[in-house]
Amino acid sequence: MKAVFAVLNLLRPLNSGLLAVGRWLGVFAIGVMVAAILIQVFFRYVLGSALPWPDEAARFFMLWMTGLMAPTAFRNGGFVAIDFIDAVIKGKAMHLLQFVLLLISLTVLIVGVQIGYKEVTGLGGRFTTASLYLPTSLTFDGWYRIPRSWMMLSLLVGIVLLILVNIELLLERFVRLLGMSDRLPTRSGLTVGGTE
Amino acid sequence: ADYTIRATANSNENDEDYDGLVVFKNYVEAASNGAIEVELFIGTQLCSNGAECLQGVADGSIDVYISTSGGASGLFPYVQVLDLPYLMADDRVAEHVLSGDFTRKMRAMALEDSGDAIRLMTIGNTGGWRNFANTKRRVAAPADMEGLKIRTVVADLPQELVKALGASPTPIPWPELFTSFQTGVVEGSKNGITDIMGMKFPDAGLQYVTLDGHAYMGALWWMSNQSFMDMPEDMRRVVVDGFYALQQATFASPKRKSIQAYEDFVAGGGDLYVPTPAEKDAFKQAASPVYDWFKSNVTRGDEVFTALTDAVAAAEADVNGARDADLN
Amino acid sequence: MLIWFLPLFLFLLLVGLPVFFCLLAAPGALLWLNGQERDITLLYRNLYNGMDSFPLMAIPFFMLAGELMNRGGITVRLVEFSQALMGHLRGGLAQVNILSSILFAGLSGSAVADTSALGSMLIPAMEREGYTRKFAAAVTAASSVIGPIIPPSGIMIIYAYVMGESVAALFLAGIVPGILVGVGLMVMVRVMADKYDLPAARRVTFENVEIGGLESWVSFVLVRLNLGLLLAQFAPAADTTLSKWLTFLGAVLLAHGLMLGLRRVVSPEFRIVCKRAVVPLQTPILILGGILAGVFTPTEAAAVAVAYALLVGFLVLRTMKLKDLPEVFTRAGITSAVVLLLVGAAMSFKTVVSLSHAPEILADFILTLSENPLILLFLINLLLFVVGMFLDAGPAIIILGPILAPVFDGLGVESIHFAIIMCVNLTVGLATPPMGLVLFVAASVSHERVTTIAKAILPFLAVEVAVIFLITFVPAISLTIPKLTGFLN
Ligand code: NA
Ligand code: NA
Repeated sequence: MKAVFAVLNLLRPLNSGLLAVGRWLGVFAIGVMVAAILIQVFFRYVLGSALPWPDEAARFFMLWMTGLMAPTAFRNGGFVAIDFIDAVIKGKAMHLLQFVLLLISLTVLIVGVQIGYKEVTGLGGRFTTASLYLPTSLTFDGWYRIPRSWMMLSLLVGIVLLILVNIELLLERFVRLLGMSDRLPTRSGLTVGGTE
Repeated sequence: ADYTIRATANSNENDEDYDGLVVFKNYVEAASNGAIEVELFIGTQLCSNGAECLQGVADGSIDVYISTSGGASGLFPYVQVLDLPYLMADDRVAEHVLSGDFTRKMRAMALEDSGDAIRLMTIGNTGGWRNFANTKRRVAAPADMEGLKIRTVVADLPQELVKALGASPTPIPWPELFTSFQTGVVEGSKNGITDIMGMKFPDAGLQYVTLDGHAYMGALWWMSNQSFMDMPEDMRRVVVDGFYALQQATFASPKRKSIQAYEDFVAGGGDLYVPTPAEKDAFKQAASPVYDWFKSNVTRGDEVFTALTDAVAAAEADVNGARDADLN
Repeated sequence: MLIWFLPLFLFLLLVGLPVFFCLLAAPGALLWLNGQERDITLLYRNLYNGMDSFPLMAIPFFMLAGELMNRGGITVRLVEFSQALMGHLRGGLAQVNILSSILFAGLSGSAVADTSALGSMLIPAMEREGYTRKFAAAVTAASSVIGPIIPPSGIMIIYAYVMGESVAALFLAGIVPGILVGVGLMVMVRVMADKYDLPAARRVTFENVEIGGLESWVSFVLVRLNLGLLLAQFAPAADTTLSKWLTFLGAVLLAHGLMLGLRRVVSPEFRIVCKRAVVPLQTPILILGGILAGVFTPTEAAAVAVAYALLVGFLVLRTMKLKDLPEVFTRAGITSAVVLLLVGAAMSFKTVVSLSHAPEILADFILTLSENPLILLFLINLLLFVVGMFLDAGPAIIILGPILAPVFDGLGVESIHFAIIMCVNLTVGLATPPMGLVLFVAASVSHERVTTIAKAILPFLAVEVAVIFLITFVPAISLTIPKLTGFLN
């Protein structure tokens, strides 16, 4: 039991920190997305010549926004689920069920992280993006074509964060299962819904 | 069946890709006496673009996939050589080139660049030839292209071409093209006639087509090298011959399909213009900066450009020789 | 064999595994049991590629625009405007509630946002006027489902993407059904007003309504520009740029004249209330007008809406502060991240749906029930309604769309028509007991019990069900606008 609390005490601040950084980067990403699309609208309709990069750049940042911000929702119970089972079973049985469900989600994520690593480092990652370049020098005379792996990394990072959160939730559920809920701090955070 | 080949094309059952696959399936299943089964997935159920599908081919979750040159250019940029304008004169030359060693040269390049994972089986056709079409006016000379907003995919080469002709390239996703014509977001495109009619673009105002035939719409048929090499040689022979049959089918199908499409286009009041040889030369002149751009900007571009132009020269000699022999 | 992923999926869903994990775990497990390990990679790949989409970007943008507008104090302006138009009718505030929802729907794609924004303002106001709390909450919840039916709409963006339809066509198809739901609810309120003796009509007066100098000028210009653009459509087509501009200028002057005439017949207070509604109501005009005129795609329209909301909030109304932004962006980002993951997982799920030939099997089964599309549509509506009782609209569309839509496509039902049936039905499901998202929100806003609201909402649900069947059996209701505007051939 001591070990469980030791891990939890380590994981909780770690996750809080990582997810906070993720949220700030996510906010930045949304800003870039809006700006990129507005630039495109301006160039296409006001100047009459479309730019090749804004669409892809905006998608690039949207994927990173998703990877970095979704774990916060998972931690705060923001992943949509049918929860009427909670009304049917109570107490220990409910904690046990939730524990099992968290094991299932952890399995999905662990399989995911393995495939994800292969995908990012594999052939698909070696495809180039169609229109994204980075300057390789301060004078802008050399340009590096961004590979697709930089985009694909977003989901892998997201899954790693989800795994960290999943372990935290799993351990907390374990503590509750043993009837020691009072030893867990209450977590407050943003609650979010779906698109409805 | 001892072997199952899972083949996918991101088009639909009206497309010549499907015709090719049906011929392939039929041939391979019969010639292997049932030892090979071919499963067809038409559409985007398994994967929806070149990057995803070729990744599937590389890891063996997809055995056969057809991409356009644009779809594969993210990994094998030199396949865009097929998009270079006005290099091949007509079907006869193009078919001769693609049936020969040029395809083997591209196969070797792709195997090398994919670490022996992705094998180019054959190059057929999908949709005939690309022509310029627009909603504004008849285009008979490069000057008529001046200022037109032409839809292209997000890729450097078609954009360079459109710019070289004095028009302005506008990247628009394919599904949004119809309304973009309607509302004037773009004024033209570079597509084959079957795609133009299939998407009902004339209803959106696309009424001017110039048959400049600036690019052959090559269909690159890829196969997982491992799935292929894992078969014994006699089965490989069946598969190779199956791709030959497929190639012939995709050479023929667009020709047949385009007849109705051209008739419908003209019947709907469309203006179909065939440029004279002199006008076509003018287009080629105007587009020529693209060749240099390709050679200096695309990885292994010089190599593949030389291979293609040599193959075209040889094919023209062969075809002309054969034609001369047939004349009398 | 593979088809067993469906029952497993259903089981996992019912025991409460988050939908995202259900969509991946059930197909993954069956692929594994079936010895198709290599296809598990396809699941991952389609999850990633499912999210990598330009049209989907409209979801975070519209969400952001909605949140920004809400912060910017536009809700109160819409309610006042509705009050000025309908407040004096019998059952006035109930009608105002419904009209506000229709107007709000043009800015926001979310029923939850509608319930919480309008409910927190109108439910207490209705109570003060003598309506029961449960009735006020029920009207709010029932009318808020208009939000995702009239464009913009989050669930329609999802449907269009997952099923490969045009977002613009779907948006346009939703306009009339959304208004129809609103009108149906208004009629119901009118009927109930007599029967249950709802608070009597009362002249609405506005005393402390003011409008800032800048906002006043902006409204002044916007009204004339919009009206001018509209009038210019009726002028004969101009062939030169100069004559185009002259026509437009003439139309604007004509609009100005009309407004001057109108000014004489209304009270100054009424004028101010209307003026205050101009800036928020410009949003739907911007979005729909822009899409219709081909100025931008729905995704770009959404980005423009964000820019407009920022402009309005910071410069015109000056109701926003820089320090409010991070929270708004965070909220929109997290919500859309969840939705995007869900859509990606749905694309993975769809892959296995087609690998397992589920639509073919289902189609065979459905055709044994009946071959008449009308009867099948009736049955499907029942199914959707039941699903909507338990599942939110977004996940329900993601799960059922790929399975059901191909079946009806094969039966000759226009795909946009089926899309609207599905979207409207599942959206109404947001307000049905026992698991209606907006019922819960209405309960928390009004401090009334869910079960009490659930009973009070029944007459309104009856209206909405009637509208669903009307939409189902009269395709012209949804298809006319997209056809007239050329977004549907
Ligand atoms: Na809406
Ligand atoms: Na309302």
